[in-house]
Amino acid sequence: MISVYYFGAISLILIGLYAVLVKKNVLKMLIGLSIMETGVNLLLVSIGYISGRSAPILSEGIGPNQAVDPIPQALVLTAIVIGVATTAMALSVAIILYGKYGTLNVEEIRRLRG
Amino acid sequence: MNGQYASLLIALPLLSAFFVPLIKGLGERGIKYYLAVITALQTGIAAWVFQQVYSTGKPIIVMAGGWKPPVGINLYIGHFAALFVLIVAVVSFFTAVFSIWSMKVQPIDKYAMLFLLLMLGATGMIATGDIFNLFVFMEITAISAYALTAYNKTGEAAEASLKYMILGGIGSSFFLIGVALIYGSLGTLNMAQIAQLAGNMNPTVAQVGLALIVFGLAVEAELFPLNAWAPDAYQAAPHAITVMFSAFVVKAGLYATARLLYLMQAVGSWHDVLKLLVAMATLTVVVAEFAALRQKDVKRMIAYSSISQVGMIAFALALGSQAGVDAGVFHMVNHAVVKALLFLGVGYVGIKLGGTAMENFQGLGKRMPLTAFALTIGSLAAVGIPLFNIFWSKVRILIAGVEAGYTWGVALILGASVVEAVYYLRFIHAMWFAGEGERMREGLAISLILLLLAALVIVIGIYPDYIWSLAQKAGSDIFNVGQYIKNVPLMEVGA
Repeated sequence: MISVYYFGAISLILIGLYAVLVKKNVLKMLIGLSIMETGVNLLLVSIGYISGRSAPILSEGIGPNQAVDPIPQALVLTAIVIGVATTAMALSVAIILYGKYGTLNVEEIRRLRG
Repeated sequence: MNGQYASLLIALPLLSAFFVPLIKGLGERGIKYYLAVITALQTGIAAWVFQQVYSTGKPIIVMAGGWKPPVGINLYIGHFAALFVLIVAVVSFFTAVFSIWSMKVQPIDKYAMLFLLLMLGATGMIATGDIFNLFVFMEITAISAYALTAYNKTGEAAEASLKYMILGGIGSSFFLIGVALIYGSLGTLNMAQIAQLAGNMNPTVAQVGLALIVFGLAVEAELFPLNAWAPDAYQAAPHAITVMFSAFVVKAGLYATARLLYLMQAVGSWHDVLKLLVAMATLTVVVAEFAALRQKDVKRMIAYSSISQVGMIAFALALGSQAGVDAGVFHMVNHAVVKALLFLGVGYVGIKLGGTAMENFQGLGKRMPLTAFALTIGSLAAVGIPLFNIFWSKVRILIAGVEAGYTWGVALILGASVVEAVYYLRFIHAMWFAGEGERMREGLAISLILLLLAALVIVIGIYPDYIWSLAQKAGSDIFNVGQYIKNVPLMEVGA
């Protein structure tokens, strides 16, 4: 059962990587990056998943033995925040790029050469 | 004094970065001086930590919140971290002083915040003892570096920054997959505990995990094939920031690669990962040297030269021998001094004469003799001429390479060094024997910094023993993992 999550995570990572490497439009590349990050996050969460247990929030009837591993979830929360920051940063740079070059095609954005 | 004060190394830049908006009222000059004062304070703390670690011979373990590792996150400031945190702080101080005069583009308060965060990220990467914490510090470094690359707001800067971001995004995802694999098989994120348990890991999983981590860090460490962003970013970033990139941001990435590699020594498939890194490092040296040869922009040329030196350091660190790691650390120190000197000098000329193209450097010996003199010393050192500091570390790297049985790698690096001599001599020729010009006034502070760094190059070149002994201690801090595990007071955790 758990292998489904691993399979899904790896496919997301590969789809994202494909988009980053093949697409020519900057926005599509950034979407690819986000898909890749999602895949990595899913992989992390599924590593900490224990079949049949609930979320690691200490509450009535849920002790350490009824919850899944909380550490990967903490890691994923951090990774999501970092991902949001990177995406926002990248999009703001894309806005500058569009303003200066008038295009988002990476093949035309090539002033730095040599 | 209590060693826990070493946590100020992280706290000071972070808090000061948050205070920048509050002192915005002081105006542009005020913020610039604030930056210089904070970096000077950081240098003071780093010097104190350095003195503590090297006089007692024991690392400082900072435990966040008083929790013992592996439950809490700890900082590990051993011989290596103490030395490099000091280098980070000193270079930041020089750059802050240089920024007072050189930074004209607004908004300067954002610049100051990002500057401090970049320093914080590199310090944290070097000092941390937790692999996920390393990832967080790496992202802090990377995001502030992306923003600083784009700071000039020109098309070129945005283009370079976007390249950096896309490669950096792929790299950090790879790194995180590697961390997930390690956490999945060992159940810990603490570096000392990972080293302790590494022998139990399935060799294939460990190999894949380590290779992914090496690839992920290769973006920050500027190793081929993930270094395409570096020359662009170096060229497009503000001059002061280029100094920081070359002098310590890349070093933090290299250190993290080496540290994680050597932590996993007990893994069965360890040597395969080392071979991968040796191949990447050698290719980095060769490709970068040939690319440097055909550059017309001096800043870009020196950026390529910096990348090739970084490849050499990675080569030394990947040899898997004590001699190799020592030589690599020694080269890191020398490279930080020389590249700080070169990029500061080139940046100074770039602002003064309005560009860093090769034509602007013609006749520099007549126009700005002090700067030209310092640049000449730096270039000669970078080529590896005896009696300059890089000579000693290069020789030690090559000897260690031959001892480890990588004669082909040594031969390629030696061949590439000849190429390096060609373009640096061309640069020196352009400065002294071509073009004409009027004598210009050179700023006092920047001249002092340049001459100080040039003097350091020569002093280390003539008396290499002291720095070499520091490098040996720092190298064994990375190489001797048994000691590393013993130094961290791991708490027993019931399963």
